[in-house]
Amino acid sequence: MNKRILLVEDEKPLCLLYEEELSKEGYDVTAVTDADAALEALDKDPFDLIVTDIRMPGKDGIELITHIMGRRRDIPIIINTAYQSYKEDFMTWAADAYVVKSSSLDELKAKIRQLLDR
Amino acid sequence: MIEKFDFKSSELERDAPKEMMLLSIISQSFFQPFSLEDNLLVTLTALTSGSGVGFNRAMLFLREGDRLKGEMWLGPGSAQEAGDIWEVLSTPGIGYIEIVEHNRALVRKNEDTLSRRIRDLVYAAGEGNALIPALASCRKEILLVKGAREEPLVDRRFLDIIQVDEFLCIPLLARDEVLGEIVLDNAITRTPIGPGDIKLASLCGLIAGNYIYSAGLHRKLLDMEKTAAMGEMAMFVTHQIRNPIVAIGGFADQLLQPGLPEDKRERNIRIIREEIHRLEHIIFQMGHFLKVSLKEPVYFDPAPVISSVLDSPEVQAKKPAYEMRVELEDGLPRLFCDPTSFGEVLRNLLDNAFDATPPGGRVSVRGYRKTNGWYVLSVRDTGKGITNPDKDRLFKPFFTTKEKGMGLGLPFIKRVMDTCGGQVEVRSRVGGGALFKLYFQYREGE
Repeated sequence: MNKRILLVEDEKPLCLLYEEELSKEGYDVTAVTDADAALEALDKDPFDLIVTDIRMPGKDGIELITHIMGRRRDIPIIINTAYQSYKEDFMTWAADAYVVKSSSLDELKAKIRQLLDR
Repeated sequence: MIEKFDFKSSELERDAPKEMMLLSIISQSFFQPFSLEDNLLVTLTALTSGSGVGFNRAMLFLREGDRLKGEMWLGPGSAQEAGDIWEVLSTPGIGYIEIVEHNRALVRKNEDTLSRRIRDLVYAAGEGNALIPALASCRKEILLVKGAREEPLVDRRFLDIIQVDEFLCIPLLARDEVLGEIVLDNAITRTPIGPGDIKLASLCGLIAGNYIYSAGLHRKLLDMEKTAAMGEMAMFVTHQIRNPIVAIGGFADQLLQPGLPEDKRERNIRIIREEIHRLEHIIFQMGHFLKVSLKEPVYFDPAPVISSVLDSPEVQAKKPAYEMRVELEDGLPRLFCDPTSFGEVLRNLLDNAFDATPPGGRVSVRGYRKTNGWYVLSVRDTGKGITNPDKDRLFKPFFTTKEKGMGLGLPFIKRVMDTCGGQVEVRSRVGGGALFKLYFQYREGE
């Protein structure tokens, strides 16, 4: 069975790009554009990994991660953001990997593989 | 019984004692969006505003680094000129604004021979063996000089220019720091300078010193805010620009892959186009916001500007989907603002109102005079409203609740309103729409 990824990205074109590219890698991708929709999806379905942006309107990625940690501690989380400078702040406690958005998705794909094969 | 009084009385009480008159002129200038130069001009004006009040002439030196430099010299050059000026100033209905404007014109005019004569007078500040007038600043003392031609401590070059035997030097101090000096005389009327005059002048000196001091602090604060804003801006721009670049790169990579279906090829090209458009918009907005300075405010007729914003294609395109109301009190006054910035402010507020309000909602523009001397232009919507924490951050650059907003519209509005000495006020609650009120200074149509 394919591994299931929950993707949270408020930028619609990026959301579409990631969804398509990760699906091509053979993952089942559920893409949502805000934190509330992500929490809803988590309540409904089991996921093997979460990829989330940080800066989003409404609840941001950090609030989302805090909520998730309160419920499920076992899902690996990747922060995928345009901000380089957040890395030190959040890597230690909030996420298993931190990827700075790039037009090449290689790093994101590699981190996903690494965490799912663990 | 409660009686209300207005701080902003525009007319001087001509029969008031001269101490009151002086304080009235100076304190009222606080209500005006005057620059430092203008505020100092108000002080000099107050000191010389008529034959019966204060002095004939007032000269201002300002501290620049470790030098004291001649800046402004206000007053008549001859008895004839004095008569003319004092006649104008004693015309009934002439308020302090007119007096300051009259003096400003005088100082800025090229033929302003008095100010020109002192602009190359420069003294080292803080030197122990300084000559008068700089000596007063060095000693931080008020000096009354009588019989100046016989006094060896008076700088001869200065004496050649001022050509009076009696004058008063008032250092401008704030926090024990010398920020300038005022020199006063009665060259025309030859009235001796009395103890009352000295007291009044020293009071004005204190106020002027504090003007300069607070203007300096304000400048420093603006610099600090600018630096902080630059940091925030760099971070925000990284985010704003990286997202479209990632999308452009990602969808371009897909285009390069063989076997991409035609519909997806078209879609990708469309997305790339849109993202490039977005990048252009970001760059345009940044450029707009970073414009170093806004134009000087003037009193202008807002009617054509309001019409052009309301009739613009952007507003007209939105209008059918909303209930739009415009209520402007009859006889629009002239508002104090740069007209172009005013139009952009109104456009921004309307954009926000439409963005926050779902179609079918109401957007209203109102304009009316308040009894306390302001003209209010308000934009109200029936949209989603603003949360309290968001309200605190609304006017900070790069804060936005819009999906693709830059967070630069309201900071721009704030900047414009600050520049013209107006105010912006917001009232809103979640789900209850928002009301933005702009307060302008105004004058009835001329």
